[in-house]
Amino acid sequence: MSDKHPPFFVGYLPIPQGLKQWLLLVSALLVAGMAGFGLVMGIAQDDPGPGAFRFDYGRQTVTGVVELTPYPLVRVTEGNERIAPGTTLMLSGQGKSNVDARAIPLEGQLAQVSGIVLQRGTLNMLQLRGGRNGMSAVEGAAPAQSSKPLGRWKLAGEICDGKCLAGAMRPGTGLAHKACANLCLIGGVPPVFVSSKPVDGSEFLLVTGPDGTELPKSLYDQVGEYITIEGEVERRGDLLVFSVDPTTVGEPE
Amino acid sequence: MSVKYTPVQWNNNKWIYDAIMLAGVGLFLYIFLYAAPGILSHERPINPQVHNARAFGACAFVMMTVILCIGPLARLDERFLPLLYNRRHFGVMTVFVAITHASYIVDWYFAFSMSNKYEALLFANTSYGQLKGFPFEAFGIFALAVLIILAATSHDFWMKFLSPPVWKRIHYLIYPAYLAVVAHVSLGILQDQQNHAFTWLFAGGALTVGVLHLLAALKERARDQALSVAGADWIDVAGVDEFEDGFAKVRLLPDGDRVAVYLMDGKLSAISNACAHQNGPLGEGRVIDCLVTCPWHGFQYDVRSGRSPAPFTEMVPTYNLRLQGQTVQVDPKANPPGTPVDPIAIPQGAVT
Ligand code: HEM
Ligand code: FES
Repeated sequence: MSDKHPPFFVGYLPIPQGLKQWLLLVSALLVAGMAGFGLVMGIAQDDPGPGAFRFDYGRQTVTGVVELTPYPLVRVTEGNERIAPGTTLMLSGQGKSNVDARAIPLEGQLAQVSGIVLQRGTLNMLQLRGGRNGMSAVEGAAPAQSSKPLGRWKLAGEICDGKCLAGAMRPGTGLAHKACANLCLIGGVPPVFVSSKPVDGSEFLLVTGPDGTELPKSLYDQVGEYITIEGEVERRGDLLVFSVDPTTVGEPE
Repeated sequence: MSVKYTPVQWNNNKWIYDAIMLAGVGLFLYIFLYAAPGILSHERPINPQVHNARAFGACAFVMMTVILCIGPLARLDERFLPLLYNRRHFGVMTVFVAITHASYIVDWYFAFSMSNKYEALLFANTSYGQLKGFPFEAFGIFALAVLIILAATSHDFWMKFLSPPVWKRIHYLIYPAYLAVVAHVSLGILQDQQNHAFTWLFAGGALTVGVLHLLAALKERARDQALSVAGADWIDVAGVDEFEDGFAKVRLLPDGDRVAVYLMDGKLSAISNACAHQNGPLGEGRVIDCLVTCPWHGFQYDVRSGRSPAPFTEMVPTYNLRLQGQTVQVDPKANPPGTPVDPIAIPQGAVT
């Protein structure tokens, strides 16, 4: 075999001597390269945020007044050591489902709710147990609940579903998570606005459409995206409600 | 070469090849999944389902990138040919990794609702009219479908069944699939990330694939220009003294086909340059045990008849040669595959 021809590899024959070292080198580089990519890609992952299902608290049961925004809330009047009176709980069913069927008949009334807490910063959600165990009317008059209008705001941030954000998923925000968030919203899980700047101390606001309607379907196209939008902000206990005007969607500067 | 189709015709080199590739994949996943989280100082960890999905998705991307680099690398430097030899096994591994990625996603982001999770994958996000928030999953679905089709038809049985040109055309779908993965990631996770290390690696990988293909194409074009010859009747191949025993001279014929003219035992014969297996370049092979051996997967042919030795049945076209003084000439009209042609003896003393 003359020098100007490199060793010739035939798959089913033994590897020619002259190629062995080269192939050893290439194989080592390949394996090391895969390992290196695994490491760098693995440590390039962003922090998914502190939201969590608080299974460590165990099942929580509290009493409060049911309100519809139209997304149902419970304004806690009788709490426990984890959930203080004055807390406002957003509600969800198991998975990507809502509790409207149970909450709507109890609007304005006192009810006992029971389930697992999801928590992220100032945001509290309760995933109710099934049936009457999760939500049932309580005898007695419902104490009046105050709500305080905070005026019209233009906010920059992202609409996402309140459950994944609050801790059902980490990460539970962003465009990679958009389809998942939409699926939650289709299921009636309350949407939340993550504001780039806190409003009255809170960076999370429950979102509704104008005048006590659900989030308009037209805004599903903007879920997960960084946008600006205008609307009325109202404080209900420790929760802010942002009723947005869908015609004001814009791009942040 | 095959008279009957067994699922895999194993040999030592294939075992070694698969072991090396599996070691790379295993290490990638192990480090991404188990070593990296310890280095990340997150208050609460990423959900395991998402973390797993990301590890397998990223791994599938790296695997596709490696696969697509092997082709041009082997064209630029033939010492990379051994990587090409068993590449389809690596491709099949990639499909399993990609399916795992998609399953974690579907069982997490698209589960837990009242709808079927596969239907949810299709209707949850319908923002097709915009770039930001585009349902990038669609690109993933396309890429995965292509990968599955390619893996399912990767066996030689399918190549025979579909015929090599059709098979090859189907397998070119790997390029749209790779572009789809680039779109999948660019419109998805890259829109979200604060840490841009992944973005750089991703762009670097995709760019490498592009640049290597460009370089290989340029090299091939330059070589084609050197190989091409004019004339309609008999075409000059080379001077008799330019041949080397056991090796070929390749010429590009006016109709676009290539002919490989081999010198064996002092006699010249010409066959098509395109291997009947996967169009491998027979002229870049050499004679082993009196048989022309393809550099890609080692199919062999008798250079005087274009036929694989019994019991194999592959055949390539042959060409007629003649000597015009000291110049070897080829008739550009190919003979039907497997047509025996008497070799041309070259004058004594002309062989180097
Ligand atoms: C049915 C098919 C597929 C679906 C539904 C799908 C879905 C997804 C989703 C939702 C993400 C974002 C995950 C996150 O939140 O971080 C993602 C990321 C990704 N996907 Fe896919 N995908 C599919 C197929 C593929 C295929 C075939 C490949 C490559 C061969 C691929 C490669 C990737 C990569 C590299 C990422 C980024 C991973 C990272 O963040 O490190 N995907 N995919
Ligand atoms: S192309 Fe596979 S052996 Fe020739």
